[in-house]
Amino acid sequence: MTFISIEFLLFFAGIVFTYYLIPHKWRWILLLAASYSFYATLSGYFVLLLLTSTVFTYFTGILIEKQDTKQQKKRAMLVGICVLLFFLGWFKYFNFVNDSIRAISTYMNWNYAIPYQEIILPLAISFYTFQAVSYLVDISRGKQKAERHYGYFSIYFAFFPQLVAGPIERAKKLLPQFKVEQTLNYDNISYGMKRIAWGFFKKTLIADRLAPIVASVYDSPDPTGSQIVLATILFSVQLYADFSALSDIAIGCARMLGIKLTENFKQPHFATSIGDFWNRWHITLSTWLRDYIFMPLCKGKKKRSEIYVAIIITFLISGIWHGAAWTFVLWGLIHGFYRAFGDHTKHFRGKMATFIHLDQVPSLHKWLQIATTFLLVCFSRVFFRSDSVTAAFENAQHFLSPSSWNPSGIIGAFEMFSLLDLVIFSFFFIVMQLFHYIERKNTSTWNWLSQRPAVARFAVYVLIVVSVLVFGATGQGFVYGGF
Amino acid sequence: MKNIEKYRNAFMDALELEEEDVSEELALGETREWDSLGHMILISTMEDVFDVSIDAEWMTEFDSYKAGKELLNRLGVDFVNE
Repeated sequence: MTFISIEFLLFFAGIVFTYYLIPHKWRWILLLAASYSFYATLSGYFVLLLLTSTVFTYFTGILIEKQDTKQQKKRAMLVGICVLLFFLGWFKYFNFVNDSIRAISTYMNWNYAIPYQEIILPLAISFYTFQAVSYLVDISRGKQKAERHYGYFSIYFAFFPQLVAGPIERAKKLLPQFKVEQTLNYDNISYGMKRIAWGFFKKTLIADRLAPIVASVYDSPDPTGSQIVLATILFSVQLYADFSALSDIAIGCARMLGIKLTENFKQPHFATSIGDFWNRWHITLSTWLRDYIFMPLCKGKKKRSEIYVAIIITFLISGIWHGAAWTFVLWGLIHGFYRAFGDHTKHFRGKMATFIHLDQVPSLHKWLQIATTFLLVCFSRVFFRSDSVTAAFENAQHFLSPSSWNPSGIIGAFEMFSLLDLVIFSFFFIVMQLFHYIERKNTSTWNWLSQRPAVARFAVYVLIVVSVLVFGATGQGFVYGGF
Repeated sequence: MKNIEKYRNAFMDALELEEEDVSEELALGETREWDSLGHMILISTMEDVFDVSIDAEWMTEFDSYKAGKELLNRLGVDFVNE
């Protein structure tokens, strides 16, 4: 049962109906049962692992709180985090490390005997492990009290709208919301339904329509340079539509239950720098990495070069978190390099903009920054999308080759679309951009829409729903669902 | 040396500012020296100079010369009765 299915919508409708029907004191049981049932349909075998991690984190939290000194709290926290990271490491990184050591051993003519292990990645383990780590760290720092109600704590761990792919929430924000009695509220129900519909729109009309087209190039043994350029740009659109759709559905579902989740995207492809991009893309992961990796790494650092090292390590961890493969490691390193290089050359670039009078035309300057940032992000996504390091470097070479950017070649590459697919995709892509444009001008498209006449408003809602039903493509899993 | 002097010197050291550049109006993001990375260096310097620990959530509070003094004051650094 994935988010994009009639089964899920029926399941969720049943949960919402029951949720507001039963007294508040029983709702945690309903949410917990729903969360475990939902997880079981996706990754049945690993419910036990989710349960084990929850029990372990629950008792470790209490143990940390009971320690007398800061030092003891820190020690208990580190032991707890090590155990959680052991679970994550075993399931997600064992074969990555094992294969890497074997490759080095073969190259160096060493004898290495540990064979490849058949280990299946438990769904959402990266997401709930990060939530668990932040919980333990916050208790140790005295910012969070250890939750004594096991039921509420378990929902924080396994809340089904955001379990699979976030947003990564902090206990401080989510736990109190579960405890407050939520009443049936028209605004919440209406807003939640709109966000879910918008998520379905982006997923089925943009992401899943692009997925096979992008795959046809990236899975091809000999793509042309222009095809790689176009497919990479389309992959960026696909990835955004796919992942932000997942967040929209999660936020919408939670809102219908009266719970407010953290926004995870703020139009990242309109970022004016790489730093700005990471303030807009997967915001809850970026802030998690900032608070629990980058800032501790920066402690005591008094030179920019030392901060650059902290940046690169943080992005390296971000890359490894995204996937157990060297392509993701390289992707993370590229972003670390972008960020450090961008900072180091900031003044020089500012002087250049002044020298060529670019700063006298702020809107042109801004759009050039947006285009440059987007292309830098696209280049990094060659590594994100490629299946191996060798393929990634070949594709990167294609992407950087000036001949690949020949306009006639790019136009020719559009042959990867059928005419009908191109028309359908273009139409819905423009609709999405219009939505973004209104958002940039009005901060909330939904609020802007609510001020329009009822006929116009309902025409938009009908367009969204009918488009999904008539033109929506399904069958592709969520890209971030695999992390 | 008085705390207020230590505070001003910390700004000059961390952000490589001249004495005349350090004023009550100084704010995060409004000068090229006090950018996001400069902020991390400034926080580390303040921690060392005043022997305090500035948590991640307080770092965002430290967004101006004045706000920094208020935050350090809450952490036990006295700028008035020293």
